[in-house]
Amino acid sequence: MRPRETRAEAAARSLWEERRREVRLPMLFETVTPGGLKIVIARRGPLPLASIHLVLRAGSSSDPRGKAGLAEFVAELLRRGTRRRSADEINEAVEFYGAALSCGADEDTLSVRVSTPSEHLGTMLRIVSELVREPSFPPKEVAAARERLVAQLANDLDDPALLADRALLRALWGDHPYGHDVAGTARDAASFVRRDAVDFHRARFGPRVGQLIIVGLIEPWQARVWAERAFARWSGGPRSPPEIPTAKNPALPGPLLVDKPEQTQSQVRMGGPGFPKGHPDLFAATVMNTALGGGFTSRLMQEIRVNRGLSYGASSNFERLMAGGAFTVSSFTKTESTRKLIDVAVSVIRKMRREGPTAEEVEAAETYVAGLFPMRFETNEAVAAAIAEIRVYGLGDRWVQRFVPGIKAVTRPMAAAAAKKYLFDRPPTMVVVGNAAAVRKQLGGLGRLRVIQAAELG
Amino acid sequence: MGELQEATLANGLRVRVLPNPAAPIASVYTFFRVGSRNERPGITGISHLFEHMMFNGAKKYGPKQFDRVLEAHGGRSNAYTTHDVTVYHEDIAADALEKVFDLEADRMGHLVISDEILASEREVVKEERRLRVDNEPGGMLDEELGTLVWKAHPYRWPVIGWMGDIERITRLDCEIFFRTFYAPNNALLYVVGDLEPSRALERIRRYYERIRRGPPLPPVPDSEPEQRGERRSMLRHPVQAPHLMIGYRAPAARDEDSLVLDVLQYALSVGEASRLVRSLVFDKRLAVSLYMDWTWRIDPGAIVFYLELKPDSAAERVESALYQELEKVAQRGISGRELEKAKNNLKSHLLQGLATNAGKAQALGTYELLLGNWRAGLDLGDRYEAVTAKQVQSACEKYLVAHARSVATLFPAGRGS
Repeated sequence: MRPRETRAEAAARSLWEERRREVRLPMLFETVTPGGLKIVIARRGPLPLASIHLVLRAGSSSDPRGKAGLAEFVAELLRRGTRRRSADEINEAVEFYGAALSCGADEDTLSVRVSTPSEHLGTMLRIVSELVREPSFPPKEVAAARERLVAQLANDLDDPALLADRALLRALWGDHPYGHDVAGTARDAASFVRRDAVDFHRARFGPRVGQLIIVGLIEPWQARVWAERAFARWSGGPRSPPEIPTAKNPALPGPLLVDKPEQTQSQVRMGGPGFPKGHPDLFAATVMNTALGGGFTSRLMQEIRVNRGLSYGASSNFERLMAGGAFTVSSFTKTESTRKLIDVAVSVIRKMRREGPTAEEVEAAETYVAGLFPMRFETNEAVAAAIAEIRVYGLGDRWVQRFVPGIKAVTRPMAAAAAKKYLFDRPPTMVVVGNAAAVRKQLGGLGRLRVIQAAELG
Repeated sequence: MGELQEATLANGLRVRVLPNPAAPIASVYTFFRVGSRNERPGITGISHLFEHMMFNGAKKYGPKQFDRVLEAHGGRSNAYTTHDVTVYHEDIAADALEKVFDLEADRMGHLVISDEILASEREVVKEERRLRVDNEPGGMLDEELGTLVWKAHPYRWPVIGWMGDIERITRLDCEIFFRTFYAPNNALLYVVGDLEPSRALERIRRYYERIRRGPPLPPVPDSEPEQRGERRSMLRHPVQAPHLMIGYRAPAARDEDSLVLDVLQYALSVGEASRLVRSLVFDKRLAVSLYMDWTWRIDPGAIVFYLELKPDSAAERVESALYQELEKVAQRGISGRELEKAKNNLKSHLLQGLATNAGKAQALGTYELLLGNWRAGLDLGDRYEAVTAKQVQSACEKYLVAHARSVATLFPAGRGS
């Protein structure tokens, strides 16, 4: 039999248990290159793998006018040739070792990521450095990439969910730099030439707007030596990130109906203003939204799917970016029940706005969000992305430890206030993609209806 | 996986428990060896519809309670159905793990099926079908290709089922289905996470032990005839560009060729430097993207190529360019470097698959289900290492041949040959 625990021992054990269960980032080792690139390194096992995440403040919101999609286009071209290597040589050098490279942009950033067996970290850092410092944008590759992109954007017209998202995005942000898809538009893409890529690279790439994150089973000092060597000669470029104007989020006067006559199902979206990343409303809004349209037991899912069989899915979400945010609602249903779906969703949202979540919903939402929070940090890639996000958006290094207490501190009145503030205090912007001939007559009384062809979203 | 503990309960339920103290969370995977493979014409899609019914109430936890209780304890659940298997999975805060056993055992032992919920869930599934198949070019084509590749085997119908059959399934069908297939002796339970194995096993016994064993399973007939030549089908729909899906008959998971085909799949299609992606997407610029699917199945399966084309692409040209590349591999094989690269990538992906609790449960459970033993999954790295270039060439020559091919094309309405 074990000897009985003293009170002090029990207290120490419970403190230990609590600390052990607290989610935190691994210890961070940091350095800065002479050119100004910030490097963050974290050791994390047990698998012999590592992740490189280089992030630059050069997202689609910095696409030049008339060149929507250029940031993403440039990102994808990085691996298609550098001053030293051809695309085939780059791909071969990465993929031969079982590493995987991905390059892409989002609204605020452009990133180059590599997942690699730990033993090849040094080689991969050299390749990443080459990609961002000396891409050559070979004319043949630019032409081929443009051709692929134009075709891809055309094929997007066959994806009703994507069209609905795109129409809502354009309506919600208007002329703002967030008002176009990261992928761009068919018209602008057709105009991309090598000069565009070269100019964008010169204007937007540089160590002072970058962060290099390395996470995995590595010796931090070794990773630091390799990283500093690989990026030692990177200098110049922009001094500071691009300014993104604050968004105004205009509202449409009535529903926008995108006609796809062959559809047997309508995609429905609604949206309105939200808040940017790092905003203090995050915690209350997250708890409220979990009850409204987050998990499977949320009100939207219950009323639309479970109680009425109107759809397979229904959700709401706060999208958060550097210079603004949006609150969006998303679902779909067979053509005949389009209006019914809209009415149910609107009434669920109105009720939440009027009364806020119940005390029981607040408690359940907090346990749900807090309980699953550790799952966001299960892989090297996820930890590297979290560090990048913290640094890019200035969330503070204690962000990960602060998150769960922040959620648990939300009270019912706080969640109710978030509902009042964000759940459509003016009529939402509404988008339907479907068979206009059958849907049009269902949309009476929702404001001035505008019908466009799917092709207009190219 | 040294600390993995195994047990088989008296009712036949096989349990595997693996501790991982890295974070205070756990994942639970319950595999039932039933999928669309176990269906018959007239009630196709019942495995998938039934997966939905499993969330709709049992004896202790009634309608709407499953997810409500789970989420309120810091957990979430989902499920998926394939041709071979139906899998239910939960992620949860480690201190609430017992709740998952309570909920899962309740529905395994005592599901309640009501007419009202069946009617509502049927509508949900029809919306899912409209989303994934009826309004989705890839879904349409995949469904069509299945009917070409298989003439007799149940793999010929889609997992989600034909729309008419989804309409037709009755409550009685569901009850018979439940009693036949949702028995502990047809299930496999994997639990991975921040747990103490012997304590977890003791809890599992407490909740699952009293569930009664089910009848022996009805055999799945495999009367698939030999294929004697290429099969083709052409669909029309208002799409921007032609779509091309090509399937070849392939062996069952347990066949030793399945590993060789993994290597072939990686050499041909994984990464921008892989044979087909490099040739068809980048060098010849014929396709926007190329995807090769080779999924292990209980019975002989299929290798499928899916090519997204450009609005002005000539599908026939793309098709013959693909066949030329396959022909080259069948005749000359792949280089030593291509072989090594494919193996390196397979091994990397095996390792990455084990990075999360859910990944471990999913991978080990799937190996056990398809290969008969989870340990067989752990040897995979070594077994890939032993595959030779000659074997890869022979597999290409044996499987990727014209007379074992099925081709489904989707052309923009009003165009095509």
